[in-house]
Amino acid sequence: MKIAWKEMKKNKTRFLILGSIIFLVSFLTFIISGLANGLSQDNAALIKDLPQGQFYLDKDADKTYNLSKIDEGVQQQILIDHPEATAFSVQMGFVNDEDDKQHSLAFVTSTDSALFEKVKEGEIVLDRSLQEDGIQVGDVLTNNQFSGEFIVKGFVDQQKYSHAPVAFIDMTNYQEIYRVMEMQTIFIPGKDAPTLSALDSFSNKEFLNAIPSYNAEQMSLNMIVWFLVIISGMLFAIFFYMMNVQKIGLYGILKAIGMKTISLFKMIWYQMLVITAISLALSIALSQAFSLIAPEGMPFHLTMDTVLMLSAVFMVVGFIGATISGFQVKNIEPLQAIQQGEM
Amino acid sequence: MSAFIIDEVKKTFSNGEVEEEILKGVNLSLKEGEITALIGPSGSGKSTILTIAAGLQKASTGEIMFDGKDMTKMSPEEVRHIRATDFGFVFQSSHLVPFLTVEEQLQLMLDVSETKMSKKEQTNAIEEMLKLVEMEHRKESYPSSLSGGERQRVAIARAIIHRPKILFADEPTASLDTKRSKGVMELLQELTRTLKLTTLMVTHDEEMLPYVDRVITMRDGYIVE
Ligand SMILES: Nc1ncnc2c1ncn2[C@@H]1O[C@H](COP(=O)(O)OP(=O)(O)OP(=O)(O)O)[C@@H](O)[C@H]1O
Ligand SMILES: [Mg+2]
Repeated sequence: MKIAWKEMKKNKTRFLILGSIIFLVSFLTFIISGLANGLSQDNAALIKDLPQGQFYLDKDADKTYNLSKIDEGVQQQILIDHPEATAFSVQMGFVNDEDDKQHSLAFVTSTDSALFEKVKEGEIVLDRSLQEDGIQVGDVLTNNQFSGEFIVKGFVDQQKYSHAPVAFIDMTNYQEIYRVMEMQTIFIPGKDAPTLSALDSFSNKEFLNAIPSYNAEQMSLNMIVWFLVIISGMLFAIFFYMMNVQKIGLYGILKAIGMKTISLFKMIWYQMLVITAISLALSIALSQAFSLIAPEGMPFHLTMDTVLMLSAVFMVVGFIGATISGFQVKNIEPLQAIQQGEM
Repeated sequence: MSAFIIDEVKKTFSNGEVEEEILKGVNLSLKEGEITALIGPSGSGKSTILTIAAGLQKASTGEIMFDGKDMTKMSPEEVRHIRATDFGFVFQSSHLVPFLTVEEQLQLMLDVSETKMSKKEQTNAIEEMLKLVEMEHRKESYPSSLSGGERQRVAIARAIIHRPKILFADEPTASLDTKRSKGVMELLQELTRTLKLTTLMVTHDEEMLPYVDRVITMRDGYIVE
């Protein structure tokens, strides 16, 4: 594939332009998918980080988790039948710190379970982001619906719900704040998903989508990501198409002297591969650097898995784009091309 | 023994509604070690018969026998293989690959013809060929920095580096002045003799005829003498 390489070396500008466009598009794609992922983490880490399992809501709640009230008898029976199951509730709320500053958060309480923080009455465990707001272990927090006080017992990482930090509290305290006795949701981890007559059941994914704004947010960002991927494929097709048009005479001559069409395709593929690989390597490096320097408050979360998956997609899309542009090369008649060159 | 026989080749082009017979039955046999020149008025069908013989377009009817086989009955892939291994081409403009140096142009042709030469033999063959066309001092130059005559000499070198049996040349001297044209013709003459090539060339230029072994005149799609 020396000839493909030589062409790139002799026509640097042309290929540099294509490369930099691919670089910009893939970089943008990485950043946006990092944001999508970060926002999703920010919106629902509490739920996302739960193992695979099944969620249950009260049928009367009409799939809206904060209207759900699970009958205590039903709940007790399930927890007996499925010892690893847990019932939990989430509601948005506020706490006031010692300086009377208000912090918005999501109160979470659950029955005894390894999946949620265990807290005693009057205690509270917070997401680490509140530590950055100046709250410390041992601080006393209050809530205007709550007669007592919460003492901060500690912090946990990556526990977010609906873009707010999560606060784990005891069930009795939760019941006092929200004046409900019933829990909202039952979660049964594991593969077996029993059908429970009084309850609607949801997979992890379905339950995530039931969180207000989660679906809309993720859908629009993912749409942008896939649009960018498609655009980059089209860019390849268009760019190679235009280059091929300029090179009809050359391809004609190469065919006239007996070069196989597949060799011409290999030339195009080789060039596409080299350009994409270099551009992707650059934008992978830069996006990783970006995730290091991204401002603390920016919900940016880009895993290497995502980057590599997207890179593979870019490769495939570039390949398809380049191949489509190659079909015109396949149809070039050597004679026509030679005569065109002479005119 | 004739290496290459063109037998009753006809060619019809259809321009929309109108069908026009450009070749009306051409018979011609080429001899090894000889240059055959095709002359005749413009539009008489010289380029058409040359490109049909070279497997660059199809005849409407007739046979083209090469090495005892009828090329008109071959698949496109078989014809391509013959073009790559047994034929060489020189055109009016040199049609070199703009981003390859002189020696790389020859290397490309060796690659395309899937030569059985070892790497060392290839390097030597390129070296020798460039000496033959007196271009060894420019082997690292790109086509854009060569003169018209130099380019045409490289094009000839490319056309025969893979040791083809037949060399096709359509007005190889048309873009050159008389002195350079004679140089190119001398080269073609010498190569045809020493390499035992069978050469078919089209020319307009009467001054080139002393260099050829046989002159065929075409008029209105026939060979007239
Ligand atoms: N692809 C084509 N479609 C239609 N007509 C064609 C085609 N190719 C050639 N012709 C016609 O065939 C005739 C012979 O063309 P050809 O190129 O063989 O002439 P020529 O003898 O080489 O002329 P010149 O000396 O000017 O090069 C011309 O009238 C030309 O218009
Ligand atoms: Mg002609």
